[in-house]
Amino acid sequence: MKPLFRFLPIAALITLNSCSDPGPREIVEVRELSGKEQEIVVADSPAERFRMPSQMSGGAASGGAGEAALPFVWTTPEGWERQLGAPMRDLSFTIGEAKEGECYLSRLPGAGGGLTANVNRWRGQMGAEPMTDEEIAALPKKPLFGLEGVFVDVTGEFSGMGAAGAKPNYRMLGIILTSEAGAVFVKMTGPAELVAANEANFDLFCQSLKPR
Amino acid sequence: MSKITAEDFELRKLPQLGYKVFTSYFLAMWVLVFMTVITLLGTLYQVDHGLFAAKQKYFHSWGLMHRIGDGFPLPGPLEWAKDLRIPLPGGFLLMLLLTINLTIGALIKVKKRAKGVGMLIAHFGMIFLLVSGFVTFAFNREGYMALYEGQDSNRVESYRQWQLEIIPLDESGKAEKALVIPPADLETIHKGEKRTFQSADLPFDVVLSDFVGNAVPVPVAAPIAKDAIGPEIDGYKLLVQKAAKEAEQNLPAVIASFRPKAEGGASVDAILSARSSNFDPREQPMAYGFEIDGKPYAARMVKWNWAVPFEVRLDKFIFERHPGVSMARSYESRITRVEGDADKAVEIKMNEPMRHGGFTFFQESFGPANARPGDAMYSQFAVHNNPADQWPLWSLVVTGIGLFIHFVLKLFDHTSRGRGRAPSSVTSTSA
Repeated sequence: MKPLFRFLPIAALITLNSCSDPGPREIVEVRELSGKEQEIVVADSPAERFRMPSQMSGGAASGGAGEAALPFVWTTPEGWERQLGAPMRDLSFTIGEAKEGECYLSRLPGAGGGLTANVNRWRGQMGAEPMTDEEIAALPKKPLFGLEGVFVDVTGEFSGMGAAGAKPNYRMLGIILTSEAGAVFVKMTGPAELVAANEANFDLFCQSLKPR
Repeated sequence: MSKITAEDFELRKLPQLGYKVFTSYFLAMWVLVFMTVITLLGTLYQVDHGLFAAKQKYFHSWGLMHRIGDGFPLPGPLEWAKDLRIPLPGGFLLMLLLTINLTIGALIKVKKRAKGVGMLIAHFGMIFLLVSGFVTFAFNREGYMALYEGQDSNRVESYRQWQLEIIPLDESGKAEKALVIPPADLETIHKGEKRTFQSADLPFDVVLSDFVGNAVPVPVAAPIAKDAIGPEIDGYKLLVQKAAKEAEQNLPAVIASFRPKAEGGASVDAILSARSSNFDPREQPMAYGFEIDGKPYAARMVKWNWAVPFEVRLDKFIFERHPGVSMARSYESRITRVEGDADKAVEIKMNEPMRHGGFTFFQESFGPANARPGDAMYSQFAVHNNPADQWPLWSLVVTGIGLFIHFVLKLFDHTSRGRGRAPSSVTSTSA
């Protein structure tokens, strides 16, 4: 029955039973399974059941996903050092002699919380004001996996996850790509001078990412 | 049609007033004006909100509140008005009024004359078209069936709606039946509501809450999990996603609690998500497994599905690409329809559907989307179960016959009048 016609019985029910708890509902529909349908696939973990990207299924968190385990290839820029074992990240690099800068790639299923929420979450980490949808739509684009990602460039006081305190004169470069296949985030943070020196490397790294 | 006057509003004359209003050209004119307006606004709304949402709001409704900014980028000085809302009649109401207006005005009230028989038939055809639209709206059920070569099925899946299945398993992990909680019971779970379901076949009650039309389960360790809702279960919470522009892309999720009927038994909680499907006909959705009273069960969200009274086996899928690109040039399916002991080979092509047993199978699309040349591909059929499937065609035939009769009568009328005038003209000239 179409929603329009559901209105009449619903209205009648509301009128008659507005004060009563309808109580448990009986499951009346039973479907007979046949053939391959009878072989039920039970997932071993929530990550498998929700078809999470590899870095969420414990690979990276428990010691790092090997290069072959990742569904893409990349070129590591000179001076960047790969870090294994970073939770929630497919790839993570430290940058600079004192490893004061970092760059990472992570993926999430679906829109990953949405473009606006993520851009403003990143801006919030740099102490910047949130942007409107229109302002975000006007942000420059950069290529990532052959598609156009939204490019974020913010300078300010960095207070990211796990930071002991706000770090002044920091800069963040990031690309957010949302597609039907999921969301991809590449983000570089560090002292403004270090990030400026690695801006070309950031572009090189992003452009080198290709599906395996 | 006579004019409406102040006297018509007397109580005893209300039935006549209703009759006058519903048969008036005035009503017909305004209905047509509003139909044009909602068609325009609905089309603009579709750009940002998708086809399904536009159909529901503008065309499948009694009335609606149109937000002025939807579809119209207002210039700067008028931007303040973008959130204002104006009430409009919905497509369903307008079609109903037009049907009543045409039925009473053009079929019942109109004077029945031999000369008008063509127009009478043409109007009947138009009313038939409106009625067929209503029957399609009210009773059509549509879904899809996707098959790889060699696969067979008698089940049709909904594009947009999901059901929850509770499956008792045997010791080998196999199952013979699934207990189904249909979409109507899932989608109506309100925020904060806990809805309980029970069955004599289950030693536990199923308590559902936090149904979200589009959500992604995220690990609580992820930075974005701070915006997630509901309880943390197995290290995950639900992150609400904005409704997708194309409604079939929404992937709902719900919190399920399986509570033993026997006292002292421990409840089992789970997040059940449509994301356990990968939409490949070769693969089943991943189920959540649990034990209660020492017996194994599985629970999962799958597309709402129903059976057709015959099996369809895909024998061959013929797919051709344009040279050098991945774009499809043509595709068609050769199937066997299995009904009891009778097998029948059928070809389904674009614009050449299979109609059988009240069901129509259209060649709709193919997949997987990322298939490369040489990869196995599935064929997808749109399956309609519409009692009014052919009614629009018949109604157009009836309307066409009516107009043909009308034009023929007019032609005879014109030529006979011409013949009648000729002698006098000749006489006049000769005089």
